[in-house]
Amino acid sequence: MITRIVVPDVGATGAEMRVVRWLAKEGDRVEAGAPLFRLETDKAVQDIEAFRAGYLRTILAPADTVVEVGAVVALLTDTADESLQETAGTPRSTAPAREQGAPPSRIPASLPLSAPRNPEAPPTRDSLLGLYRRMVLIRRFEDYLYRLFLQGQVPGTLHQCQGQEAVAVGVCAALRPDDVIFSTHRPVGHLLAKGASLPAVAAEIWGKATGCAGGKGGQMHLMDLSVGAYPSNAIVGANIPIATGAALGFRLRGLDRVAVSFFGDGACNTGTFHEGINLASVKDAPVIFVCENNLYAASTHVELAMRVRDIADRAAAYGIPGEVVDGMDVLAVYRAAATALARARAGQGPTLLECKTYRYPGHSRGDPGNYRPREELETWRKRDPIDRCRRLLAQEFHQPEAELDEVEAACQAEVEAAVRFALDSPDPDPAACGEHIYAGKVRE
Amino acid sequence: MVEALRDALAIALRSDPTVFLLGEDLGVSGGFGGGFTVTLGLSEEFGHDRVMDTPISGAAIVGAAVGAAMTGMRPVAEMQYGDFVFCAMDAVVNQAAKMCCMSAGQVRVPLVLRLPVGASNRGAQHGQCPEAYFLHTPGLKVVCPSTPADAKGLLLASIRDDNPVIFLEHKLLYGGKGSRKEKASLDVTGDVPEGDYEVPLGTVAVRRQGTDLTILANMLMVHRALAAAEELAREGIEAEVIDVRCLAPLDEDSLRTSAMKTGRILIVEEDTRTGGWGAEVAARLAESAFDFLDAPIQRLAAPDAPLPCALALERAYVPSVAQVLDAARRLVRE
Repeated sequence: MITRIVVPDVGATGAEMRVVRWLAKEGDRVEAGAPLFRLETDKAVQDIEAFRAGYLRTILAPADTVVEVGAVVALLTDTADESLQETAGTPRSTAPAREQGAPPSRIPASLPLSAPRNPEAPPTRDSLLGLYRRMVLIRRFEDYLYRLFLQGQVPGTLHQCQGQEAVAVGVCAALRPDDVIFSTHRPVGHLLAKGASLPAVAAEIWGKATGCAGGKGGQMHLMDLSVGAYPSNAIVGANIPIATGAALGFRLRGLDRVAVSFFGDGACNTGTFHEGINLASVKDAPVIFVCENNLYAASTHVELAMRVRDIADRAAAYGIPGEVVDGMDVLAVYRAAATALARARAGQGPTLLECKTYRYPGHSRGDPGNYRPREELETWRKRDPIDRCRRLLAQEFHQPEAELDEVEAACQAEVEAAVRFALDSPDPDPAACGEHIYAGKVRE
Repeated sequence: MVEALRDALAIALRSDPTVFLLGEDLGVSGGFGGGFTVTLGLSEEFGHDRVMDTPISGAAIVGAAVGAAMTGMRPVAEMQYGDFVFCAMDAVVNQAAKMCCMSAGQVRVPLVLRLPVGASNRGAQHGQCPEAYFLHTPGLKVVCPSTPADAKGLLLASIRDDNPVIFLEHKLLYGGKGSRKEKASLDVTGDVPEGDYEVPLGTVAVRRQGTDLTILANMLMVHRALAAAEELAREGIEAEVIDVRCLAPLDEDSLRTSAMKTGRILIVEEDTRTGGWGAEVAARLAESAFDFLDAPIQRLAAPDAPLPCALALERAYVPSVAQVLDAARRLVRE
């Protein structure tokens, strides 16, 4: 099968994109994920990876060629010597490549996140498996999205969260379905951790009518009200007072529901961080503020943005508990979240959790992350939350590797099915532009 | 108008447990009752949770109102002065106004944001009329009453509307009593119906019928237009005065009907001229009633300048009855 390597839309705004040079030669075999060619745009120089393995047969855009988005720059084949002539019926990989069919899994696909009520109690095998599965689903989906992005298949932008899965999953595992979350421009992990519909999320990223917001929201405004996930927010820091307000509403009605605000290290220097947390503190609002400190706000390192090292220290300024949490350890996150939840439900007010974590990808699509040292990424990868959870399952709970592989395969199948659903779904009707500007009619 | 507004808030709080107020100095015992005494006494009946005092945190006041509204409450937030709304513009424009659309109608933001507006001898950061910013923002409703009866009915309708409503209250129309009454207050009185009633949003009110020209005005300017109309009548000019008490949604049909009748339109607005609400209304009427106009549409507005404080300057800045008379006479003679 012939695979076309295209120039992905890396979000460059200027005129020229240029292939600087090739990182493999014609005839080389390349692995999936291996850097193939170096692309220069007005924004950055970045290495574009092969999205699947194969033999680099023909380079169509040699070094120093000016290219544009979508241009076919090379051809890969599955085998070293298959013909490059296309014949009718030769599959063209303009559609997402289908992986090998997944074997049926002995672990049910809908394994619920049943975490122990007592956060101090040791986890059960099933609850740990549930956490593992949820993290794998997020990772597989984000990785698959990225491969499709490299093929020029993903419209719009992406803000991905590989590496940060344990924070989303650990927090959401402690929540009830009627607790609410408010996420950010990087929402996929939080949404899937809360139990949002993956096909609806995929369809929204593709801007389809079947998307969770009918295509009106987009990648940064994912939502699923049935699991308490309100539209995520692209204004950094904005969801902090919003979550406080939701919590105030719960308290006024005598409900023991809790609101969670997710945000990054960048949000901690916004005015709404200060105002929103302070208001929650003086009103004992049942809200948890979860900071995902991945050391970078876009390209700016935290040390350039603030004098304190631990954002959790700022909780003292509001008279609320603040805790630094290992964001690469899903159980540590879960325990911290469960403790904060208990406080909130008991009317003791908000907590600030600072989860130290790391995002493997750049800030957004096309950001190669050149502002980060390569060794730093490697150091954090060694603490990968999914690998850690898998080791725990294998060693402490003697979960057979083959069964864990089945979880991975089942998640992959679920991911691919969701993307197929998205691709097969219709675009929204243009009339939708003028819909839902106002809500309904005046209540009778 | 203060009593009418307070009455509306009390009725809303009594009839719907999801309604609550939030803002600075609203419910403090022995305190002000908000910027202009509107909420005075309400915390005694409804407590300090439903009449919630906040720190000086404009962005959080409106942001929290958005969050509460999205999840089932009907908050009524107050900015102590309308000018302070700019501290919260992200919450108003990027959050409250856009949530319903971004969610394809799944999320509603039924909040009311009360803004005391209008020049009152306090200077540029305490007297702006900001309605144009909200008229320009799809997803918001914009309400600006000129009478106590309208204020009560429109506020109740706004609280019960499922959309974010920017509710402008002119400081010189509050009236009220005691030490917190504005010096230049108009003390507008009039019959305010007892009990629970609503004035529908999306309507205007013809305050005076006429045939020679149509004056469109809001809030304080309605009263100046009416005073001018009385004088004009003595000169044989009959002005129709329409109170544009709701700018969004706008009852364009009623405005057009009047334009067709008189053929001459004068817009009297306290906000600044460029991009003021008059510019939008003028553009719409020029589009829809052009063939019926006998003269270009005129706008009398504050000049394009921040509001000066000195009384001598403020009097020249805010359209006066004399300026309305002048503009009307010129329009009729054209």
